[in-house]
Amino acid sequence: MAPTAPDTPPADTTVYADYVDGTDAVMHRVALELSRTHLNIILPDGNRVYWPLDALRALRDQAYSEGIVLTEGFDNMARLVVDNPYVAAELRSVAPNLGQRQPVGNWGRITAWAGGAVASVALIIFVLVPIMADQLATYLPPDGERALGDATFEQIRGALGRANSPVQLCEDGDGMAAIDAMMARLDPSDDLPYEARIAVLDHELVNAFALPGGRVILFRGLIEAAETPEEVASILAHEIGHVVNRDPTRDALRSAGSIGVLGLLFGDFAGGTVVLMLANQLINAKYSQAAEAGADDYAHDLMREAGVDPAALGTIFQRLMDEYGDAEGIMAHFASHPQMVSRIEAAQQASGGQDYGLPIITPAQWRAMQTMCGPAPSDPAEDLPAEEGNGGGGLGGRN
Amino acid sequence: MTFADLSTDYKGAKSPIFRLAMITGIFTVITAGMYRFWMKTRMRRYYWSAIRPGGMPLEYVGRPTEKLLGFLTAVVILAFYIGIVNLILMFFSFSLFSGNAPAYVVSVIGITPMIFFAQYRARRYVLGRTRWRGIRFGLEPGVAGFVWRSMLHWGLTVLTAGLYWPVMTYYLEKYRVDRTYYGDHRMHQGGSWKMLVRPMLHVYLSVALMGGTGALIGVTGEPRFGPLIPLGFGWFVYGLAAWKAGSFKALTETKTLGDASLRTSPRTGRIIGIYAGGWAAMSGLFLVGMIAGGIVVGILAAITGFDGDVLEEGYFTTLGALPKIIPIVAGLIVYFGVFVFWNVLKETFITLPLAQHLAEVTEVVNPGALMAVRQRDRDEFAEAEGFADALPLGDAF
Repeated sequence: MAPTAPDTPPADTTVYADYVDGTDAVMHRVALELSRTHLNIILPDGNRVYWPLDALRALRDQAYSEGIVLTEGFDNMARLVVDNPYVAAELRSVAPNLGQRQPVGNWGRITAWAGGAVASVALIIFVLVPIMADQLATYLPPDGERALGDATFEQIRGALGRANSPVQLCEDGDGMAAIDAMMARLDPSDDLPYEARIAVLDHELVNAFALPGGRVILFRGLIEAAETPEEVASILAHEIGHVVNRDPTRDALRSAGSIGVLGLLFGDFAGGTVVLMLANQLINAKYSQAAEAGADDYAHDLMREAGVDPAALGTIFQRLMDEYGDAEGIMAHFASHPQMVSRIEAAQQASGGQDYGLPIITPAQWRAMQTMCGPAPSDPAEDLPAEEGNGGGGLGGRN
Repeated sequence: MTFADLSTDYKGAKSPIFRLAMITGIFTVITAGMYRFWMKTRMRRYYWSAIRPGGMPLEYVGRPTEKLLGFLTAVVILAFYIGIVNLILMFFSFSLFSGNAPAYVVSVIGITPMIFFAQYRARRYVLGRTRWRGIRFGLEPGVAGFVWRSMLHWGLTVLTAGLYWPVMTYYLEKYRVDRTYYGDHRMHQGGSWKMLVRPMLHVYLSVALMGGTGALIGVTGEPRFGPLIPLGFGWFVYGLAAWKAGSFKALTETKTLGDASLRTSPRTGRIIGIYAGGWAAMSGLFLVGMIAGGIVVGILAAITGFDGDVLEEGYFTTLGALPKIIPIVAGLIVYFGVFVFWNVLKETFITLPLAQHLAEVTEVVNPGALMAVRQRDRDEFAEAEGFADALPLGDAF
């Protein structure tokens, strides 16, 4: 218990409390008196402090809730600690403004800083980081890009495979030769900063990816979903468009910049990671829509020059849309591809009603490609709609 | 006048802290994290006021809005640093080393000084907003010295695989305590790092036993030494509690404020009991909570399933986008609810009992020396603990 000053007059009717005046660390045992308008605090030396009842404030969220800790107004440093529950209850009944909160005087300043914070984060995420990523992506040496692409490729294989066995590559010689023939016909080598390396993964996803460093990955599911080799070629041309534009590299650099910034905003509050991922997906979706349109345009041109009908891109999109539906409404924000309908129209426009001649590869080559992951394709009904991957620039069968 | 030593009362209890943590946690989730400044303020008011040395409660006078302002300040500065610097690092990492690992390493090293910076500034803010007997505490400016010392001591700790830990603990504590004020009086951290070696002994020995056993099994291929590993682990857990109690006692009893000092006697057994009991209670209640939550989700699923049928029949075609968002929102609520509930239980069954034990065993020796203490000026400190809020620092007070 606190030391009691010996000169405090004991009296049956007097109630006591502990008082500090905010100038020194001396605790005073004081007697309390109530008048109609004031709480009188009688110090051991006989001096008195008068606190108007309507100026009394109680400290909030106190652990000992049967007692009360009082102060006067908002700026007074003095404190009166009343532990006696009966006295505390009495004081609560006579003081009308105990719960009044200190007004926040600086909302204007807070609002200004909040605006500043939002603006600077927006500037960084939507302007500065994308611009720098775009610039830096073109300066990145091909070796660095290839290393990044290879690392991502192995991650994707591991993530799609079953425990301890990454997804197998389809490396059948005739199939690869068919892909080479397709590439030779499209002939994008003048535009490419490095050689494109095409791989086919033995997986039912209806999807394709471009990774940094010229790696393009087709999934078995996509080849099975295609009805003509031109459709596969159109997807291939689209992915090569991503490679030419260096979209996957930009994407990797951009997310390196923006994920950390988003982590800041949500602080360390419970499980902020999900909010973070969702927000990042929203931002990337916006970038990717421009990137997808760019890759589509590139594919149209490449195919026209090679004498292959660009409408094939529209045909395969149409089939995917019939099967899985367009991403509309709320989900469209999370999907990284522009609305399918407009892409299909663009492909048909690019076709321009011209007459396109020879098929891109021979029927025998097409068969080799269709069976390069093993014999006859499985039931297409089991094909799963694809999810957007990390590498960026995917086709996104879901769309 | 003579003064007896002041013992410390503890007035906190489980049910009010449970209620407070639950309510503020729910608000924090509802406001997408913005209420956390209010949550922190209110929780601290409670924890501070529960500790009553000599019958006089500590008071926390920090305000939520100054934390919000500090956080916004920190975001502006850090967003630039993290966004741009990380991107440039990633670029050079790819171009020079053909991989992203160097970028992550450099990035972590780059953010480390910021974390120490944030720690010291947060300590300064919290002390500046703490009062006892109406007198403010305070921490002298000195963040630069703390940052380079932290880098040095943490570096040595990493290099020595943790052997250096007691030395680091002592010197970083001393740096802060020697700059801590109560009113106009400066505190002093006495003793030396050697007093922290003994409290660490059980940890050292148990780790040596586990490592040695592992090596022995590896070399001899004899699995019969295997039982030594769980034994070593049990010893290690005991060692951690012994470190907590021993280091607290050694550091607390060598702190002085003029002629006043502290005496304390935390018990290793009690600390083990708090953690064991706390984890048991948390797991049990969490399980109950999960089952209750599962039942609620099941009922909701049944209801929304019914709604889905109606929608498929085309009665509400204009609301077609609505059902998709319901599971997302519900999922988010469950996800955050789990975190909040876990945190609430942790506050209730571990943080509070531990604070209670450490408070109740601690006494102020020679409190008469405090009579000379006078008030100090308010530390305005506009940025509050914004950097600590923005960086993932964990939540040590």
